[in-house]
Amino acid sequence: MPDTQWPRYMVFVQEQEKDPWRHYGTVHAPDADMALLNARDVFARRPQALGMQVVPAKLIFGKTLEELENPNWANEEIIGKSENYLIFAKPFEQSPCEQLGQVKANSSQDALKKALQNFPDQKALWWWVIPGSELSASDDADADSMFAPAFEKTYKNQAEYHTVTLMRELHDTGKLES
Amino acid sequence: MYGADVEQVAIELNEDPQQLEDFEARIARGEKIEPGDWMPKEYRRQLIRMISQHAHSEVVGMLPEGAWITRAPTLRRKLILIAKVQDEGGHGQYLYHAAETLGATREEMLEALLSGKAKYSSIFNYPTLNWADIGTIGWLVDGAAIMNQTMLARASYGPYSRAMVRICMEENFHKKQGQEMVIFYSQGTAKQREMIQDAITRWWWPTLMMFGPHDSDSPNSAVLTRWGIKTRSNDELRQDFINQLVPDLQACGLVIPDPDLHFDEESGNWQIGPIDWDEFWRVVKGIGPRNKERLAARNKAHDDGLWVREALVAYAEKQATS
Amino acid sequence: MANVLADYLIALADDELILGHRVSEWCGHAPILEEDIAFANIALDEIGHARLWLELAAKELGEDPSTFPDKQAFFRSPADYRNLPLAELPNGDWAFSMLRQYLFDSFELARLEALNQSTHTGLSELAAKIRTEELYHLRHTQAWVLRLAQGTEESQQRSQKALNALWPHAQQFSSPLPAEEELNNEKKVPSSSELFSPWVSHQSDFFDEIGLALPPQTNSIDADRFTHTEHLTELLSDMQEVARLVPEGRW
Repeated sequence: MPDTQWPRYMVFVQEQEKDPWRHYGTVHAPDADMALLNARDVFARRPQALGMQVVPAKLIFGKTLEELENPNWANEEIIGKSENYLIFAKPFEQSPCEQLGQVKANSSQDALKKALQNFPDQKALWWWVIPGSELSASDDADADSMFAPAFEKTYKNQAEYHTVTLMRELHDTGKLES
Repeated sequence: MYGADVEQVAIELNEDPQQLEDFEARIARGEKIEPGDWMPKEYRRQLIRMISQHAHSEVVGMLPEGAWITRAPTLRRKLILIAKVQDEGGHGQYLYHAAETLGATREEMLEALLSGKAKYSSIFNYPTLNWADIGTIGWLVDGAAIMNQTMLARASYGPYSRAMVRICMEENFHKKQGQEMVIFYSQGTAKQREMIQDAITRWWWPTLMMFGPHDSDSPNSAVLTRWGIKTRSNDELRQDFINQLVPDLQACGLVIPDPDLHFDEESGNWQIGPIDWDEFWRVVKGIGPRNKERLAARNKAHDDGLWVREALVAYAEKQATS
Repeated sequence: MANVLADYLIALADDELILGHRVSEWCGHAPILEEDIAFANIALDEIGHARLWLELAAKELGEDPSTFPDKQAFFRSPADYRNLPLAELPNGDWAFSMLRQYLFDSFELARLEALNQSTHTGLSELAAKIRTEELYHLRHTQAWVLRLAQGTEESQQRSQKALNALWPHAQQFSSPLPAEEELNNEKKVPSSSELFSPWVSHQSDFFDEIGLALPPQTNSIDADRFTHTEHLTELLSDMQEVARLVPEGRW
């Protein structure tokens, strides 16, 4: 019997106020609501999130720097309709893939063309355009129950384990102080 | 990899020489290869194999430790162990994602694991026989994994190296909570000292084997090194680990089960006795103490869960058409 | 007065601990990896809540909050536990576990909202804190119960079977916790029976909406927090095994 591991959803997180949306990874989920719930459990295990958004991975139109060097990239089969597109880019290897802005465009290709015009000096290893209508976001009102609880789980913090002190006691005196 | 890569790699290089040269120059310059970039077919194939097997290791690794969650002796230890096992699931999740960026699907990868075709780190084919094994796994096994993963954080494939960075950050508490347990029990009651010594005696050699065969016996893959997939030697990593652990374990009053263990002044290294490679290959080939059980458990969860996965797809489809 | 509130709090903790223990048994065996991670989170929260209730009980009794919770969890016998018997039933299939979790999450939320109005400040504050996590649990389990009830024919059948097995135990939610009447008179805690009727009505509507039938009232199983099944004995014997091996040890 063929298996299903559910479709992939791309996950974006806003860590703190004034931070742009950042790409975190993917989750497998049957629908957008479950994707948001799963994204919270997979990515907000350690505290640092205000909000999350998900979009089916297959709906993201992306091009790498290398692919953009081929001038025919814009002539492939047109994808997407006329609407608002969110523009994401990954500037350097060490930097996160973040939202730069948004554009109104007729298609994914049109959106990327406009993005390249609007951000002419932007270095990017790759670009993503995401149709705004396909994004599902967590509710601001839910931020407390979605993300705050991770702060309580201090046992996930490596500083909670005083192994350096304990080892020093053993090396120095052969026994533990307490 | 969770532990070292032990498969014989037959690499077929059948690419345009100029493209290959440009690709290798990028890696030599320290650039990361990203999804969508040109890459040799073999690079993609080897990475999918390694990354998915690393993911399988994390997921199978949930089982030997998960078995002790219900018996954790304090509420704090229970919370710590659940969080650790949850992290391992999370790490498997990040890694499957990295393999997916190369074109692999999770359905295919799981099929390979469950049918026995794909490998996972053989350390998880050993049983957890007492509670002290949990502390031992944290300090020794996760400690060894961290060393391997730190090396892989320099891997040439972007999504893999970034997954490693994220995993290393989370893995730190895994090692420390284990070390704390070993320290406490080695200094505890007679019964606790007996338990922890027994655990160390059983896990010491399998942990050393995690670093893979001696360099002299390893599949000699200059190509993998050139492609930034393998960046340090097995013996180097293993020696670093031994030098770190031996003094600390001895300070705990624990006996390392190696009559030949001694410190060599000249090299500054702790020298160990011979590793039993027969056992190593037996376990890798699937004849280890728990190979069958691990796969059976994963297969059962998978089979039992099929109706669940299908039900949610059916619901989503109904919603989409309504 | 301090002692009776402690008894109440310990019973709340027992619900969380036993349920959390059952949830944690799914770790590594869930239908999909994302759910292994999600259900583990629920287990972490429940056991964390148990610890919080026990720490508050310790303060009431003048005991050391850093040792009291473990003493209660690992050194009481089944007869002294005060959880709802519903929590100790074995996990069954995914539909059963998810539905059981949903029933608990929804009733607990109602109780927590009432506890947030308690005249006892410590209790009110802790209830508010725990409530934020429970809100998330309910979202998760409700989403699952809905999808399983309406997914495929098989999932619908399993959901109905689970409801048939679990609903007769629902009456237990109305049974009072230790010292509840006294504490309720002092406006420190709500009455479980008062919370029960609106909850039943709400659940009737929900199950009706999603296409599941409630089994008849005549199937009700009479049970309360003072009588336990052999499942609890087995559960605790497993849970307490290592702790009792070296009772005086530092684990």
